[in-house]
Amino acid sequence: NCGSALTKMSRRYDSRTTIFSPEGRLYQVEYAMEAIGNAGSAIGILSKDGVVLVGEKKVTSKLLQTSTSTEKMYKIDDHVACAVAGIMSDANILINTARVQAQRYTYAYQEPMPVEQLVQSLCDTKQGYTQFGGLRPFGVSFLFAGWDKNYGFQLYMSDPSGNYSGWKAAAIGANNQAAQSMLKQDYKDEITREEAVQLALKVLSKTMDSTSLTSEKLELAEVFLTPSGNVKYQVCSSDSLSKLLLKFGVTQPAAETS
Amino acid sequence: MSIFEYNGSALVAMVGKNCFAIASDRRLGVQLQTIATDFQRISKIHDRLFLGLSGLATDAQTLYQRLVFRHKLYQLREERDMKPETFANLVSAILYEKRFGPYFCQPVIAGLGDEDKPFICTMDSIGAKELAKDFVVAGTASESLYGACESMFKDDMEPEELFETVSQALLSSVDRDCLSGWGGHVYVVTPTEVKERILKGRMD
Repeated sequence: NCGSALTKMSRRYDSRTTIFSPEGRLYQVEYAMEAIGNAGSAIGILSKDGVVLVGEKKVTSKLLQTSTSTEKMYKIDDHVACAVAGIMSDANILINTARVQAQRYTYAYQEPMPVEQLVQSLCDTKQGYTQFGGLRPFGVSFLFAGWDKNYGFQLYMSDPSGNYSGWKAAAIGANNQAAQSMLKQDYKDEITREEAVQLALKVLSKTMDSTSLTSEKLELAEVFLTPSGNVKYQVCSSDSLSKLLLKFGVTQPAAETS
Repeated sequence: MSIFEYNGSALVAMVGKNCFAIASDRRLGVQLQTIATDFQRISKIHDRLFLGLSGLATDAQTLYQRLVFRHKLYQLREERDMKPETFANLVSAILYEKRFGPYFCQPVIAGLGDEDKPFICTMDSIGAKELAKDFVVAGTASESLYGACESMFKDDMEPEELFETVSQALLSSVDRDCLSGWGGHVYVVTPTEVKERILKGRMD
């Protein structure tokens, strides 16, 4: 845990984002990642016929106004969606930026923006906040799920430093290391979308802090191709999600046996 | 020759009973020469909203692309489609932005609003809206279209009759205009379906 490794000396080097520490670290970027480590987790899994995104909703209260909007998943364009972990207000800014970038590309080239280019463009924005302007970095990590005609289905993870890479399965947010190692064990290259949903729910149920999984605490979304060949981003309804949780046997609290 | 007449165009939209029709000609010309006979002048914004753009073809294409940009962002942020009235206001605002260097287009907007009520409107090239309850026209054949629509239009036509009326009005008007014609493209939109039909008229 990088937080506990910091000594009193390093306090001199964390007040500005735009300078390195003597050990060659960017503390503000690392502190941003700390913030994300406390946020609701999200998992993404790439399969042959689609990408699955699952997110843990941290804020669940009876007093919350019900809405059809999602908290963890957002559509960026018809062919790209993302899951978010971290400071929600920071995320909203970046999501809007990504949406505008995607439309600007489509306006210029009259075709959908390739997924990697979109991720790269957004990461370039994030990187700017680690090098210029004296502003703090965004406290958000993203999992981008999308499809384009060059590379098919893709999954990317990006963090506050502006680094990104493509993954077959990835986790962000709380307990992401535990989730990542579970995914490493159970992921198979030829996994189908349905198996990916099952794996994602299973891993999330094991790494989430709460004792029982219900559909109110989760969000599930998939990016896949319809029979007519169009890309579709679909958020699972609360009812379907409850049925899935029952089907895969992850809805019981840890104490009960099935 | 006026810049609005450079490519030639004919557009008409009509209101029926819980439905609307929007129709255009298919000619794309460069002054007197015809260079395409399958030019699409009407585009779908979403399932219940159509936009026709008459006038200079390059401006019509660019304007349409800008509107798709704005509508896509609206859809993502509001998580719903734009209402026709709202879209008309957006088109008007975008046209007025270019008040002193305008897009040489005259749009025709047709859609189904709340409670499936048909909405049609047109505006001039700098965004002056004209809302109508019956029909709107645009393009080089607009004067003939006004006359044809005025005499053929009836209130509360069913989709099939509306299609016949719009088609006859369009074909008879473009036949009197050398810059538009080469067939017609008609969309009849009801709350449940969109029917797209191609008309064969005088191919000249």
